[in-house]
Amino acid sequence: MTTPLVLGVLAGAVLSGTSLLYATLGETLAERSGIVNLGLEGVLLMGASVGFAVTAVTGNPWLGLAAAALTGGLANGLFGWLVVTRKANQLASGLAMMFFGFGVSALVGAPHVGAVITGLPKWRPAWLGALPWVSASTLFNYDLLTWLALPVALLVWWLLFKTRWGLGVRAVGESPAAAFASGRNPALMQFQALGLGGMLGGVAGAHLSLSLTLTWAEYMTAGRGFIAIALVIFSKWNPLRAVVGALLFGGAEALQLQLQARGSLISPFILEMMPYLLTLLVLLAWGGSRRLAAPAGLGRTFFGSD
Amino acid sequence: MKKHSFVALLLALACFAGRAEQPKLVIGAVYVGSVNDYGYNRSFHDALAQVARDLPGVKILEAENVPESATVEGIMEGMIQQGAKLIFPTSFGYAASARKVAKRHKDVAFEYAGDGDASRNFGVFFGSTQIAWYPMGVAAGRMTKTNKLGFVMGMPIGYALGNVNAFQMGARSVNKNVQTIVVVTGGWADKAKEAGAANALIDQGCDVVGMHVDSPATVIQTVEARGGMSIGFQSLEARALAPKGWLTGLGFTWTPFFTKIAQDVLNNRFRGEAVYQGLGGMVAVAPFGKAVPPDVQKLVNDAAKKVAGGFSPFVGPVKDNKGNIVLPPGASVGADQMGSLNWYVEGVVGKVR
Repeated sequence: MTTPLVLGVLAGAVLSGTSLLYATLGETLAERSGIVNLGLEGVLLMGASVGFAVTAVTGNPWLGLAAAALTGGLANGLFGWLVVTRKANQLASGLAMMFFGFGVSALVGAPHVGAVITGLPKWRPAWLGALPWVSASTLFNYDLLTWLALPVALLVWWLLFKTRWGLGVRAVGESPAAAFASGRNPALMQFQALGLGGMLGGVAGAHLSLSLTLTWAEYMTAGRGFIAIALVIFSKWNPLRAVVGALLFGGAEALQLQLQARGSLISPFILEMMPYLLTLLVLLAWGGSRRLAAPAGLGRTFFGSD
Repeated sequence: MKKHSFVALLLALACFAGRAEQPKLVIGAVYVGSVNDYGYNRSFHDALAQVARDLPGVKILEAENVPESATVEGIMEGMIQQGAKLIFPTSFGYAASARKVAKRHKDVAFEYAGDGDASRNFGVFFGSTQIAWYPMGVAAGRMTKTNKLGFVMGMPIGYALGNVNAFQMGARSVNKNVQTIVVVTGGWADKAKEAGAANALIDQGCDVVGMHVDSPATVIQTVEARGGMSIGFQSLEARALAPKGWLTGLGFTWTPFFTKIAQDVLNNRFRGEAVYQGLGGMVAVAPFGKAVPPDVQKLVNDAAKKVAGGFSPFVGPVKDNKGNIVLPPGASVGADQMGSLNWYVEGVVGKVR
């Protein structure tokens, strides 16, 4: 039985959008505190490889997931030490962190290439499986990370916009000097945002290796970290819009593959460009808006109040 | 076999030397990926390990995850300093560097996995997989219930198109109604897209999926999770990934060729040549899965014997999937011309460009 195109695309969008969403949420947290981390791709890779390695050794994907989150947090902590404590340039440090991530992930993953792991368990409520077409598709047959993706987006939104902590993070992102003058510790807030964001980035990588592909290969993220950075801009630094962005990009990727599987007569090269063209178009359409919501202090180094 | 390997040179020193204190022959091998990939790199590693077991006094030096850049020159120079007299640069992109090092060391034999000219101390070899996909098609064509086969392809290069074409022609030889749907991911190791491609093919009702990507692991496991059947590629060991749905696959068997080359070097008889072998030579059919009944196994084995005996489906008249005659009666495509293929055979669903 064939799955209708809409359902196939939706199913693919959710599967490939999950890791994008976690990565986008992580980067949103960091950027809201004024720090842009171009090394996100490296964080994803380290999460994917450490998660896979720990799962391969222990046989427990939950331990792998925890290790991936921890790795992401530590990686962003190191990045924070560079750009917050040592006040290094954010863009240059971010790129350096990316290449660092390539190396570390390759080193950690190398002994475990080809290992056969048990991935994160998948679960579908029986009543959803009884719906037409659903039982034969991947729809609603998700691991915990996919089920929790939307709640986590809500949680990050709530943290940023409804708590005192979030207010502090956003204040630091707009103007570290003003936040400092009002008695906050900008460096501490940035470390907290970076650490939490890094954990989400590590989880994003782990979803790729522990659930979607059940494998580790060097550079397997294939640019998803950079797409997530674009999605942060697309979503105007808003965690709820990030859900739309991740689904849209994941959907474009799924549509490309589904169209090929349906024997579309469009060139595969043009189809391959689709998700990226879409990203460009969306950035074009939204970039013109006057209400660009970028944190005012984004990318700037705060040298203290003296 | 391009790989984005940015870092991590692991110079793994594997010493298989026997009792002899001084090895009679040191062999160096350079790999673009990890030898545990259930695929391309592992096939070389396994073959060399076998050579070391078969020939006493042979020592193997291996370097994994070596990028296709000038780095590889230094690695090979290092191996020569450690006494290597035979070197296997096993990735396509090592050509320029390997040829340079070979010019500097006329006393060292090189066997490069790729194409181009051979010279006195520089041999070229590869396994021709295209026609070998024909018996894979026979297996898939007999096992499918939906008459739809899927194929996940990294990039639409001539060699990959040849694999799909032979697959479809083999399937059609036993099943007139069968078609093969191709999904291109755009990279040799974009794992998330490979999973998406396999899911999309199953969504379309394909029940047997083959692939030409660096490592078959993701496609095989995704298909297995959806209850489909798979045909492996690049390694004979990939069946471990699909206990239920594994049908069969193609892998490389370099051992006989490597053994001969090692003996030639030991006896000072080495002469660089271009050697391409298909089924029965450097390519072999993997063990069958439980799902494959004996009569189908026999059909596949017969087709494999036919191919090993010189049969090729790439002999005209052959039509492409737009209805044009691409091979008029009598015309054929040799194993050495597969790289320049630019059409899908009748019955393949897909567009080359």
